[in-house]
Amino acid sequence: MNIIGIAACTAGIAHTYIAKEKLITAAKNAGHNIHIETQGTIGVQDEIPDELIKSADIVILAIDVKVSGRERFADKKIIEVPTEIAIKSPNKLIKKIEEAISQ
Amino acid sequence: MKMFKLIALKRHALTAISYLIPIVVSAGFCLAIGSLFGGQVMNSFHDDFRLVDALSTMGVLVLGMLPVVISTGISYSIADKPGIAPGFLTGLIAINIGAGFIGGFIGGYIAGYIALLLREKIKVPHWAEGLRPVLIIPLLSAFAMGLIMYYVVGTPIAAFTELLMNYLKNLNTSEKIVYGLIIGVLSGIDYGGPINKTVVMFLLSLGPNGYEPMAVMILASMVTPFGMTIAYFMQKIFSKNIYTHNEVETLKAAFPMGVCQITEGCYPIIFNDLLRCLIATGVGGAVGGAISMACGSATPAPAGGLFAMVTMVNPIQWFIALMAGSLATAIILFVLKKRVNLDDNNELTIDDEKDIDLDAIKIS
Repeated sequence: MNIIGIAACTAGIAHTYIAKEKLITAAKNAGHNIHIETQGTIGVQDEIPDELIKSADIVILAIDVKVSGRERFADKKIIEVPTEIAIKSPNKLIKKIEEAISQ
Repeated sequence: MKMFKLIALKRHALTAISYLIPIVVSAGFCLAIGSLFGGQVMNSFHDDFRLVDALSTMGVLVLGMLPVVISTGISYSIADKPGIAPGFLTGLIAINIGAGFIGGFIGGYIAGYIALLLREKIKVPHWAEGLRPVLIIPLLSAFAMGLIMYYVVGTPIAAFTELLMNYLKNLNTSEKIVYGLIIGVLSGIDYGGPINKTVVMFLLSLGPNGYEPMAVMILASMVTPFGMTIAYFMQKIFSKNIYTHNEVETLKAAFPMGVCQITEGCYPIIFNDLLRCLIATGVGGAVGGAISMACGSATPAPAGGLFAMVTMVNPIQWFIALMAGSLATAIILFVLKKRVNLDDNNELTIDDEKDIDLDAIKIS
């Protein structure tokens, strides 16, 4: 499965990046491809390349705040959660996503 | 469905706070540096002034503008670009009528939803399509917000703000201790997160009445990194290992960040053991807050950590309060935390993870 997503939190210096790491680790352990863009206080980093958006099966938004560039995912299936969930239960979140996709 | 709405409301506030943080921090540090070298807030620029006067003036000016930032941020989060104009105006009116932060906060929501409504509902003939975003929506939303702020919500909010100020001004010592305790717990408990920022904005909105609790807030943001560091030395003395190797490495960066009043460096340690850390921080914030408030320590700067001491009334007492709070955090943490192996890497397996609350997930 090809997963892409955005992580963004309120202070934009810690949760954002922890959520990103946790999601990447969990997805890789489950055998998926994943790319997470961060929108911290420093701005957009690791922007999702266009070709990955095209091939993506699902978009994870682990966000506590408004993010920019949502229109890129217009025709995609989007899962939206607070960063807290991505940090506390990344593996279960990936499982939920697998279920959502197979439905 | 209702749940999603609540999450959305919270997201708008958090978005505004995320825009606010760099502004509060930069202005707060300017004010702190200015005050350190005796900078005075200037009202007239005809006479000569020093750089430090400019820094202080700038800090106070920007901190006074926070209602604008909060209302613009909320309104923008709700209505996207059309929300900026009415949000900006609403914040300025909130300052104008003395409704301050609370006025900006509530007004921001109203402005955002009005802008959103206009954006969705207003239909114009084809020739006027270009006028819709630049004239019709801004004018109508500004007009509506002006009426609402000046005639409807503004006056009661301003009255409430004044009432609150008077109440806080006339607290007796035991009430002050309770107040300090509450501010201490609230500022510390989410480690520089949204609750902490809400406290900061609330205190800023109090003006000079917020100087004493502001000192508490700074202290409460620092008890976690300080307390964790003290606990590290305690583990050496009492030979009970409570940190893994990774956590000790984290602490090396977290402590200097803590000196600058940034709690976020402690996150990796906190997340490994959330509940115990929360209890320790809460107790530390409460102890420090009560002492600082009882001693009457006060500061106008909302940021700066140890450096903010130079802006303080009764800085020594404040430092003692900080140390007492940190020690309380350290002791609680040290007692509560389980013995760990230095080489553990705290990776959670899927079975340890908390079940996901389905309400919090939105699939579309």
